[in-house]
Amino acid sequence: MISLAGVSTDERQAGSRRLREILLDVRPHGLVDVVAGIDSLLVEFDCLQVSHEQLAQTIRLAAAGRGLDGRVEIHAGNQFVIPMVVTEEFAPDLPDVADELGISQDEVLARLEASELSINLLASAMAPMMGTVRFPGQVSRCREPRTNVDSGSVMVAGTSAIIQPFPGPTGWKVIGRTPLTICDIREDPATSYKPGDSVRFKVVPHSEWARLTGRFLRPVGTPDPANEDTQDQEGTSQSAG
Amino acid sequence: MRVEQDVALKVSEHGWLSTYQDLGREHSEFMGVPCGGAADQHSASVANILVGNQRSATCVEVMGGRFAFVAKSPVLISVTGAPADVTVNGQPVPMWEPVCVPGAARVVIANARDGMRNYLAFSGTLATGHFMGSAAPEARMGFPQVITAGQTIELRTAYAGFEHPYLTQPLFRLPVPIPAFSPGVWTVDIVEGPETDAAVGIRELLASRQYTVTPTSNHVGLRLDGPVVHPESLGEIVSHGVPIGAFEIPHGDELIILGRYRTLTAGYPIVAFATKAALPRLGQARPGQKMRFNWVSQQHAVQDYREQQNALLALEERVAKLFSAVGLPLQAAPVAEPAAA
Repeated sequence: MISLAGVSTDERQAGSRRLREILLDVRPHGLVDVVAGIDSLLVEFDCLQVSHEQLAQTIRLAAAGRGLDGRVEIHAGNQFVIPMVVTEEFAPDLPDVADELGISQDEVLARLEASELSINLLASAMAPMMGTVRFPGQVSRCREPRTNVDSGSVMVAGTSAIIQPFPGPTGWKVIGRTPLTICDIREDPATSYKPGDSVRFKVVPHSEWARLTGRFLRPVGTPDPANEDTQDQEGTSQSAG
Repeated sequence: MRVEQDVALKVSEHGWLSTYQDLGREHSEFMGVPCGGAADQHSASVANILVGNQRSATCVEVMGGRFAFVAKSPVLISVTGAPADVTVNGQPVPMWEPVCVPGAARVVIANARDGMRNYLAFSGTLATGHFMGSAAPEARMGFPQVITAGQTIELRTAYAGFEHPYLTQPLFRLPVPIPAFSPGVWTVDIVEGPETDAAVGIRELLASRQYTVTPTSNHVGLRLDGPVVHPESLGEIVSHGVPIGAFEIPHGDELIILGRYRTLTAGYPIVAFATKAALPRLGQARPGQKMRFNWVSQQHAVQDYREQQNALLALEERVAKLFSAVGLPLQAAPVAEPAAA
């Protein structure tokens, strides 16, 4: 595991993201895959093709040669606006989160909507993990993790946000749900987002749910009639599937 | 070039859980998708090598119960993994060897013991879907790959039966690396993890006590009952990537050994890693299995893995020579260097 020493949290996060791009680009001999942590990188390699020390040295050289010095330039990624519905059923932890942060539920959502979130990494099952939400403090995990959370759930922990692409267990707090399909293995690639892209959330009324359900998330400005938010006539809901 | 033909395999019994499987996805983890693949990579590799396939070819992973099928035409198969009873038309046939199955014969794999999984490989290519380049299941993302009774599996094969004036089976003496599946306590080699020192006393505990696999274990990880200590003064650990074989101690008094379908990031301390050579055996561990742990150096771990891989290479070369000599089909020439695992 690699992490950058002696810099701020934001710089460490950006730095590990940049290093990840370099390694995927250079693909040092023996490298098998990389897994991004929030501010670190797990490097998987074949120990019969390259020794621990050799690979470490290659990574240092690759990083040095690419000007990885903490003050990194983040590549201009795609932008996404993700609609979410926050009814009681879809946002079971919203009251808790508001209590913990000491602000109103509306304020929690307003701060989420006001935050331009950068996708730091794709977590389990391609879930986009994003930061930083402009919350006044850290959101804790659930005391009892849920055994199953519906796909599309928008969740927060610390000052990070994540969307659950498929049903599954989680300890993160659920504060809304998007009707969009954010990951579909029938699409190629299965997601339209990648690390470095930026995301905004937009709270929409529950009445929008049926119209947007099942549409595949696409970046802002993509010429995809199924994704045109408001201009769409009512009742012409299309599915990306 | 041999003529290939399609052979239908009619599955009549599917065991507890049978799936299409291979050695897993490559270059998927940076996208948040675990590599997955056969829990016992050694047995899956050997099964494929024994029928002349590339080791990464798609095979069938049978977990528990009885798996039975009838092939319309002759097929060349091998069965590896946990000791089990394998029969062709009721006659016992050996595991860990190529087996020539005549057309319309019924093959049964049953009574697996001292382990969890059997691997059934067919000379040729099984027709199945792929996700990110692999047939390995990713059930959570909608790619379950489950094989059920009544289903017909399609095989494309260049094998058309084995003919010899006196024998029905080719008699090979192959250097097959067959792992020991002893019924008693297993010893698993481990190396240090990043939080080994922070968990004061964990070295001694893991070296001296016995641990038992609990029924909550699955392909995500083995959960073990046994004494643990929690690391001190680490604070909250932010989510970081976690490798296969990592020994995590979550907040409860439990030890988790991560498997090939783990969640890729976690915030729990890692107090040890199973060595790469020990992973196939962990992929066979059943609930109730007792194990002890043995600390080894990193060099020792790399050396063991090298020996394991060399044994596979030697088998690959031998199979290539023998199959060429007797006219059995080969899907792959022996590879020059070990494939990335």
